[in-house]
This record gives sequence, structure tokens and C-alpha cells, in this order.
Amino acid sequence: MPSPDEQPVIVGIGEFATGRAPMSSIGLGSCIGLVIFDRDRSFGALAHIMLPDSQGRSDRPAKYADTAPSHLVKELTRNGCKTASLAAKISGGASMFQTFSGNLNIGERNIEAVRLELKKLNIPLIAEDVGGTVGRTIVYYPSENGKISIKTAGGTINII
Amino acid sequence: MNTLTSQQRDALRELGNIGAAHAATTLSTMLMSNIEMTVPDISVVDIAKIHEHVGDELSALVIFQITGEVSGGGYVLLHIPKNSVIRLTNAMLGMTDMERDLTEMDQSALLEIGNIMVSAFLDATATLLSIIMLPSPPSMIIDMPHAAFQSILAIQAFSDIDQVVIFRTELHSDQHKISSNIFLLPNKPMLDEILAMLDNLMK
Repeated sequence: MPSPDEQPVIVGIGEFATGRAPMSSIGLGSCIGLVIFDRDRSFGALAHIMLPDSQGRSDRPAKYADTAPSHLVKELTRNGCKTASLAAKISGGASMFQTFSGNLNIGERNIEAVRLELKKLNIPLIAEDVGGTVGRTIVYYPSENGKISIKTAGGTINII
Repeated sequence: MNTLTSQQRDALRELGNIGAAHAATTLSTMLMSNIEMTVPDISVVDIAKIHEHVGDELSALVIFQITGEVSGGGYVLLHIPKNSVIRLTNAMLGMTDMERDLTEMDQSALLEIGNIMVSAFLDATATLLSIIMLPSPPSMIIDMPHAAFQSILAIQAFSDIDQVVIFRTELHSDQHKISSNIFLLPNKPMLDEILAMLDNLMK
């Protein structure tokens, strides 16, 4: 049983982690932190998704909204989780700048793409803290049944 | 992109050095204080490791897109941690209260300072390259630096990268205990173009 103040594993942009220990993604802007966890075990996975569409790339599956969900499900079932007991939570997808050209609201597109993919996979999306204009740092605690602590730069903390 | 030669690094460092020195001079004039400056650091960073370079502590970021006679898609960021922002505004306006939140006054002071510093930075680099580079109107956020970097790298100009060249110079005032960083984030076409110009210069 990991202690509550154990240092979380840092999951960088485009990476994922699986297991029982706390996991964190720092400073999500338009990126999405996707957690898929087993409701019957203290076990789950976190992906730090950057872009909505992989356009066929497969070398970094956790980087894209269309490939990360199925990749996490595969990792979890490989570790003995049953697909029927999996559930998902998402955070991030902010829109931090409006003024630069070429910015077709990646955050919003990331959110939509992840939701769509989870639906296809039949994984219920049971909680989310998404959109808005602020960055988020998240810590996921597998031992606490899918709990995610979400902190903003201003210091507010939201638990989903 | 992970194949910057040591010669290319040296040339970029020199270019950045000149730009940052001009930016430091403007800051020094505005604060009427000495500004120390580090040798520019040029790193080729995997996107998964950006968190090792910028964190999530509350900061002000003044962000400019680089326009002018160079392929679009480069950004200059002036990064100042919250406490330094307050010391900076206090120093400029003769105030002393440190226990306050960032206000509109800080934001407008920063936009002004950012504009002046980044214009000087781009002017000096462009002069060396014999081209014109101009900053776009600035965009400012008070938020997490990592979230800002990530959001910039996700936009189309960077077209699904795995690595990015991060150029960083730290400027600080010992007298006022103000620290700040100037970051330059060129996309691949801009970096290639700047490297080609530097290569020509050295011929």
C-alpha cells in the first residue's frame, strides 16, 4: 500500500504509466490527462495526451486522443483487469491563448476526441474537469479508487 | 532535429547572446540597476521531458509570435515567476508591498516591459542576420509555464513534433531580487532558416 505522500511517477507529454503507485502530469494546458482505472482493484493507468489525431502514427500511442484510450485498455487487461470493470476520468483541454494564428482550439478537439474514443470502447466516463482557460497539474491515486487531485496555478484544488 | 552540431550550437548561442544582451540593457535602463545574464542554454528536448525545463509554479508569461522576414512559427516567451513580477512592478512604481496578488497594474507593466525587452531581443538578432524580425502583439497569461509551453507546441505550426529546440537565457537583478527567463521556441522551418543564415554569415 503506497503511503499518501509517496512521490508520484511523472508522466510527461505523450507518455503513460500503469500500476498502483500515484502518478502525476504537470502543467496540462491543451493536453488531456486520461485516467482509466479498475473499479474492483487499486490499479489503473494515466496517459498525457497532446493531440487529437495520430494520423496513423503508432510510435507514441499515449500522445494522441484517438490511440491513447485503447492503448491504456490493452495495458490494463494485460495486467489482469477486466474490461467490464474499467472506468475513465479526464482533465485538461484548456484553451490558454486565443490570439495566435493557427490555433484551432486543440484543447476542445482533444476533449471531443477522447470522449468519442471512450464511447467506442464502451468505457464509462464517470468524471471530468475540462476546458476553461487555466493550466492544471494532476495527481492520480490508484489506491483511492480512481481519485484525481487537480491543482491550478492559483492554488485551487479540485478532487474528482 | 536532434542533430545540432557543436558549431550550430555555438552560432545559435552567439546569436542569442547578442539578443539577450540587448534585452538585458533595456531592463537595466528601466530598473536603473545592474542586470546579470547567463550564457544562453540551447537544448534539444524530447516533449516528454519538457517538465524538467519548466514547471508549474505560478508565473507571468508574455508571449510573442515572431513575424517578419523569416518563416513563421517561432515564439519568444518572457517568463517571470510571481514573486519577481511583484518585485519588478514594486521597483518600477516605488512600492514595497510583497504580500499581494498580481493585479492589472502588474499585467500592464509586464506587457510594456515585455514589449520593450522582446523588441530589443528580436531587433538585435535580426540585425545580425540582416533581416527584419518583428514581435506580434503580445499575449499574456498568469499561469503554469509548462501548460503554456505545451499549449504552444500543440498548435499547428509545430506539426506533431517529438522534440523541440529550447533556447533559454536567464536575466536577474541582484539588487531587486528579480529573476526572469527569455525563451525562444523556433519551429523546424524557422530553426533551419536561421541556421542556414548563420552558416552563410560564417562563410
